[in-house]
Amino acid sequence: MKNTDHYFRLSALFILLFFIPVCSFAQSIAVKGIVKDLSGEPVIGASVTETGTTNGVITDLKGEFSLKVSPSGQLAISFIGYQKQTIQIAGKTQFNIVMRENSKVLDEVVVVGYGQMKRSDLTGSVVSVSSDVISKSVITSVDQILQGRAAGVQVQQNTGMPGGSSSIRIRGINSLNASNEPIFVIDGVIIDGSTSSNTDNALSSINPSDIVSMDVLKDASATAIYGSRAANGVIIITTKRGQKGEARINYNGYIGSQQMPKKLDMLNLREYAEHKNVRSGTDYSGNGWGIVETDNNFVRPDLLGKGTDWQDEMFKNAEMTSHNMSVTGGSDKSTYALGAGYLNQDGIAIGSGFRRLNLRGSFDADVKKYLKMGINYAFSNSYQKLTVSDESLIETALKQTPNVAVRNADGTFDGPDTDEYVQNNPVGLAMIKDNRNEKMDIRVNTYAEAKIISGLSFKTELSFDYGMNNTYKFDPSYSFGALVNDTREGQYSKSYSKYWSWRNILTYNKTFDLHNITAMFGQEMQKSRWEYLFGSRKGYLSNSATDLTLGDASTAKNDGNSGENSLLSYFGRFFYSYNDRYLLTLTLRRDGSSKFYKDNRWGWFPSAALAWKISNEDFLKDNDVINNLKLRLGWGEVGNQNVTNNAYLATYSSVATVWGTGLLAGNTPNPDLKWETTYSSNIGFDINLFQNRIEFISDFYYKKTKDLLLQVPLPAYVGTSGSGSTSAPWKNIGSLENKGMELTLNTVNIDKKNFQWRSNLVFSLNRNKVKELDTETSLIDKTYQSGSLVTIVTRTSVGRPIGEFYGYKVIGRFEKATDFYYKDADGNIQPTALPENMSMGKNSIWIGDYIFEDVNKDGVINEKDRTFIGNPEPDFTIGIGNTFSYKNFDLSVYLHGSYGNEVVNWVRRDLENPRENTNLLKSSLDYAQLELINPDGPDDYRNVRVSGGDQYACRMASSSATNSSNYRYSDSFIEDGSYLRIQSVSLGYNFPHKWINKMGFQNLKLYCNLQNVYTFTKYKGYDPEIGSSNQDALLSGFDNYRYPSPRIYTFGLNLTF
Amino acid sequence: MKTSKYICTLALATSLTLTGCSDFLDTKINSSITGDNFYKTEDDFKAATAPLYNKVWFDFNDKFYYGLGDGRGFNLYAPYSDYVYPFTDLNETGLTGPLVSAWNSFYNVIQQSNKVILGIKGSDLNDEEIKNQYIAEARFMRGVAYYYLAMLWGNVIICENTDELVSNPIVNTNSTSDAFQFVMRDLEFAAKYLPETSTAPGRINKYSAFALLSRVYLTYAGYSDNHNSGTRSQEYLDLAKKAAEKVITESDFKMMDNYEDLFKIDNNNNSESIFAFQWVPNGSYGETNTLQSYFACGSEITNDDAAWGYWTRAQPDVIWEYEQGDIRRKATWMGYGDHYDEIQIANGGYTYEKTEEALNVKKYVCGSTKDNAKISKQSCPINTYMMRLAEVYLIYAETVLGNNASTTDVTALEYFNKVRIRAGLEPKDAITFEDIRHERRIELCMEGQYWYDLVRWSYYKQQEVINYIISQNRDVIDPVLWNSDSQTLSIDDSRDPSSRSIGNIDQTIFLLPYPESEAVQNPLLKEAPVPYEFKEDRITDLFN
Repeated sequence: MKNTDHYFRLSALFILLFFIPVCSFAQSIAVKGIVKDLSGEPVIGASVTETGTTNGVITDLKGEFSLKVSPSGQLAISFIGYQKQTIQIAGKTQFNIVMRENSKVLDEVVVVGYGQMKRSDLTGSVVSVSSDVISKSVITSVDQILQGRAAGVQVQQNTGMPGGSSSIRIRGINSLNASNEPIFVIDGVIIDGSTSSNTDNALSSINPSDIVSMDVLKDASATAIYGSRAANGVIIITTKRGQKGEARINYNGYIGSQQMPKKLDMLNLREYAEHKNVRSGTDYSGNGWGIVETDNNFVRPDLLGKGTDWQDEMFKNAEMTSHNMSVTGGSDKSTYALGAGYLNQDGIAIGSGFRRLNLRGSFDADVKKYLKMGINYAFSNSYQKLTVSDESLIETALKQTPNVAVRNADGTFDGPDTDEYVQNNPVGLAMIKDNRNEKMDIRVNTYAEAKIISGLSFKTELSFDYGMNNTYKFDPSYSFGALVNDTREGQYSKSYSKYWSWRNILTYNKTFDLHNITAMFGQEMQKSRWEYLFGSRKGYLSNSATDLTLGDASTAKNDGNSGENSLLSYFGRFFYSYNDRYLLTLTLRRDGSSKFYKDNRWGWFPSAALAWKISNEDFLKDNDVINNLKLRLGWGEVGNQNVTNNAYLATYSSVATVWGTGLLAGNTPNPDLKWETTYSSNIGFDINLFQNRIEFISDFYYKKTKDLLLQVPLPAYVGTSGSGSTSAPWKNIGSLENKGMELTLNTVNIDKKNFQWRSNLVFSLNRNKVKELDTETSLIDKTYQSGSLVTIVTRTSVGRPIGEFYGYKVIGRFEKATDFYYKDADGNIQPTALPENMSMGKNSIWIGDYIFEDVNKDGVINEKDRTFIGNPEPDFTIGIGNTFSYKNFDLSVYLHGSYGNEVVNWVRRDLENPRENTNLLKSSLDYAQLELINPDGPDDYRNVRVSGGDQYACRMASSSATNSSNYRYSDSFIEDGSYLRIQSVSLGYNFPHKWINKMGFQNLKLYCNLQNVYTFTKYKGYDPEIGSSNQDALLSGFDNYRYPSPRIYTFGLNLTF
Repeated sequence: MKTSKYICTLALATSLTLTGCSDFLDTKINSSITGDNFYKTEDDFKAATAPLYNKVWFDFNDKFYYGLGDGRGFNLYAPYSDYVYPFTDLNETGLTGPLVSAWNSFYNVIQQSNKVILGIKGSDLNDEEIKNQYIAEARFMRGVAYYYLAMLWGNVIICENTDELVSNPIVNTNSTSDAFQFVMRDLEFAAKYLPETSTAPGRINKYSAFALLSRVYLTYAGYSDNHNSGTRSQEYLDLAKKAAEKVITESDFKMMDNYEDLFKIDNNNNSESIFAFQWVPNGSYGETNTLQSYFACGSEITNDDAAWGYWTRAQPDVIWEYEQGDIRRKATWMGYGDHYDEIQIANGGYTYEKTEEALNVKKYVCGSTKDNAKISKQSCPINTYMMRLAEVYLIYAETVLGNNASTTDVTALEYFNKVRIRAGLEPKDAITFEDIRHERRIELCMEGQYWYDLVRWSYYKQQEVINYIISQNRDVIDPVLWNSDSQTLSIDDSRDPSSRSIGNIDQTIFLLPYPESEAVQNPLLKEAPVPYEFKEDRITDLFN
């Protein structure tokens, strides 16, 4: 009964509060005033209320307000981004209020899983990026927002292609499994960031301008509430919702130009011809190279011009346009937000581009005193052109030789004069081949939230995400020089996906004296289903109309399949704070997944975190220097269920045979499959000094992932490679660890009336190591196939970082006869190790060839001598941002860098090889030149020396075996991938309000942005930011003709009225 | 307030009840058949064995079939095709693409066959005869794959249960001899349990197994520890002869009258075809025959840009082996002025006039969609021959010749001359080993066989084969000219010969290197082999 008493007392208090304003109205006075900021500009839309009442107004376009108040009350003035002020009315009727910008909004609300929290109450490691950042750079996809702006979050674009994907690693690589992408929770809809593709971006449907904030949950104490899918981190995206008050209409648009930031130095026609003549001529001793036949067109190279520059032909300056319009507003009881967006980004490479249309709306209403309901929908329609990537046209353009013309005199496309071992015309293919997709996405979230009793609320939320993806491919007939294709083929596919979830959450919040409790209990069910349909026909009569119906029906092929998975979850969170000093968060989740066999379906995911607000202790409470000091400790357990559906079950897949459908074993089932679990611990400090002008956040973490899920790499003799193979089993195979630290420093360096300078610095460092692998070999190798050559390029092994480059080490080259021998430790003369099956000889190993390190000292160079030759993981990454405002101008400069990572420049391996028939890099001509020491002497290794060329290059050999030995995958193609990039420079001008107010505008800003301005690097390829090949964490930093990221210049306008 | 509480409690209760049912986590699988529902009926067995005729062999057929068989056998000259010249030049490595894919392919055949065998054995269908018949079909395939592995790599891993290998893949190899023993067990089982006649055109029968057995027995007859013994085991020569005799005298297989007709799509599964891959018209990649795209000398033949064969040509060495008037030359190689009715039918046939400086491949080249609707880009569904009756005739002759210098055995001559007479040549009245070597090379040219003939020969006369290969002067490329009037190929003195760098010719060339990734994953692969513990005895009553 005592509790009931308490309840009644509270109610009485409420009633009392309701009556007070009524009483005070009786003796009110009228006050007037104007609200300005430090620079003297009026602040529009600031809220002026009488403290303790609902009585209040909003400042008008001149910053003025008038209000009837109690003469003994207080006025509270607040506006987003400014410090809240309280002023005693004390009978005054005229107020001149100057608002100071808020250096740090400590009590901003942070979105955590299934709820919100004040930032100051956070116990876990959560980093937020606001919409402010989006407006200051040219961002087409939400994943790009985080690059270098959130400590501990490493974002690399896998391609510069419009609409392409990124690789996002939150606190390192957590899984050996292909997907290391975090999940995104967008207004309640969970989207997996992984697509296992460079061109397909899971987030491409989302318009960055719709976003209010992105909150990245990093440590397990924060992510554990997402349980089985949270191992790679969780990024919560909140989109715009309405605000009470008069409608605000905002337009933001820009036009821009994109260009190629860098060109590779390739041979021009004359150089190519001269080099071809060398290859068909004779070597230093007068013997024929025998590499190519003499080309009669190249008899007089000096008469030739520059020929075709295929880079100039393939890449162009490309346009970019974006328009965004939004309307927000609301009444007392309901709010709304509507928005539309359009983006059109041409690719700098012909045959690429991206277009997107977004529509969205949200509506929230207090339908009853105790019940709030709302709906939020987002529709997007995007188009992407993929010809350049699907046909590897950048590779073709670099390899195409300068003697081939792009077009004939009549404007039609030309091509090489033979169809053997030549490159096609990449420009022609890019222009005529149709290869694109169109996606539609509808995301809807609707909820009802009821207050049951004071402090206790119940929310039920239903979310849908429907996706439709159409792909269009048509190979037309063409005739490019000698390359002729008469077979026209159309291939089309439609896929449909549906995700839905329903969650029910009960939240209880109560404060008793110094104790504050928030408890949440919830339940969620999620289901994903996809379907796919494919059709193709050949035998079209023309290139003009390409629908399937015009193809020859007898050539028709079709295919289709479907799949689904589901997840059932229960979760809870308990938050307790004592006296705003000691904070405790406990969470627990139980997940059941359809991806595992019945016995292994369910898993528990607990977490605990503690925080101590030291600055709220008595000894620091009124400290002038330290405004905030907080210590956070966290621990938690999260899972990963990223395996293919039905991996625990034996399946048979269909094969067409002459006797009808046949069935082959499709997989190797593993019924013992279970979650991959990551245990993570975190310790963090938050310090704010000097009126929050300096904010320093640091986090240190240790993560261990157990039961790593992996499709076991098995030798091919187990029947798991190639056509007709079974897929290898998924297993829980080992463990790995990540440890690291993250530092964020935000400072207000100068805060004068007309000039402000703010900086922020983000530093992240992560080290990962594989602890154990239960595979027989304890190794995971990743291969790359080029032509018919399959090369192991990275290796992941116990005790070492993930995905290290693995190959041969060049330790020198044979310069003179004595290099073929060396003295061992005992002083005995030993022959230098030569590659297996090769011997000293001009057509084998000779002066000018590379000496490889004989790692196992067995006197022969073979696969056992490969070793670790580089690590794609950076030592650290940094982001440095500086924002300057002077009067109405603001300038922000943002830099992003990565240090100590290595990159495989596979492009050089192809194009620096002087023996190849393709066009080559100019540096390929620096191969080691040989000469006879005694010109009259024999062509004997004792009479040959290196006479020219680059000191690190090997010779050009007439033997293909020698050539492939020298150009085997070695550390000579590994480069330092460190870089510091001026990622964006943004300059804006805000028109003074006194001017624009007359035109009826609230805000008008003109701005220009430069993106990808300049990169400081030693890397020789296009761009040292490589990303991961098809998002595969084990194949990072491997530059295989990556589409270069463009430099973008934009000019835009932001208008609010 | 009360209403809201009521509604909410109800909603909460409903939702928890609804989600409480565990069915939610049982998903429906519509895209594949699951284990519990398969291997129930004979139709299931048929469905399980059918892909053993195409998809699993695809990676072998795509490049290695001819790249090794004819490339390394020095029938092919393809200076720019890295899927042929490493084999011709004898400098392939464990990284050479087709070598890796062929290894994968053989083991896919083996492991999928193992799964079929175990699946049928575990079936509750109560008919041992039916079960044995389909087990025999799978064992035939496994046997053929092991035969290739043994001849190419020597010591290989023998496996009868994939699951055991999945849980422990790091195992030793077994010896070449054990591999041959294993092959013979598989094929003997097949010979015993396969039906007399095929259950469907193109499916193997009892005599397919006997035909393969005759080749395996003949091969194994020469195999011993001493590769220069100079003699072959009479026991195995006799077995080979008996097996060949069974095929020739008891089966329905008959020679085709016209050699050229063997290589037409519409003659798939003709009377001479004993075992051939069964490619699907218009199938997906993996189910189709891609050979034509590598062989066709230009887009005018295929009508698309998948015609990469202009630089895939005849070695002069093999053209010089053709006797004047041998009709097999034109059916195998296109020489200047040759006319083919079945290609470019709409234009009244195709006359090859690409170049006089070379001959391009004809076998397995069938034309474009316009010539035969079954053809499409990179898919020419002509069966790939793995064994046909003509070879069984030649095997018979060779078994009779045995360790003798020559033979005049009437039956041997009869069979041997059947092959020659069809080729438009004079019959022989005595047969030497050189005659058989020559006849096999020409008859089976571009059917991926000649290198295996050399390996078979090297089992007992290794030095002789080494000398033979040295005498081919693989490092010199003579410019040649084809004279269509005289039908002769001569060296073109107006152009200089060029050279190629080739690997050392010694006893190591008869074995291929293991794929590098395999050797890396399993270091035991290069260790000494261990004996294989056979789980059954050889079948001895085949020839009673």
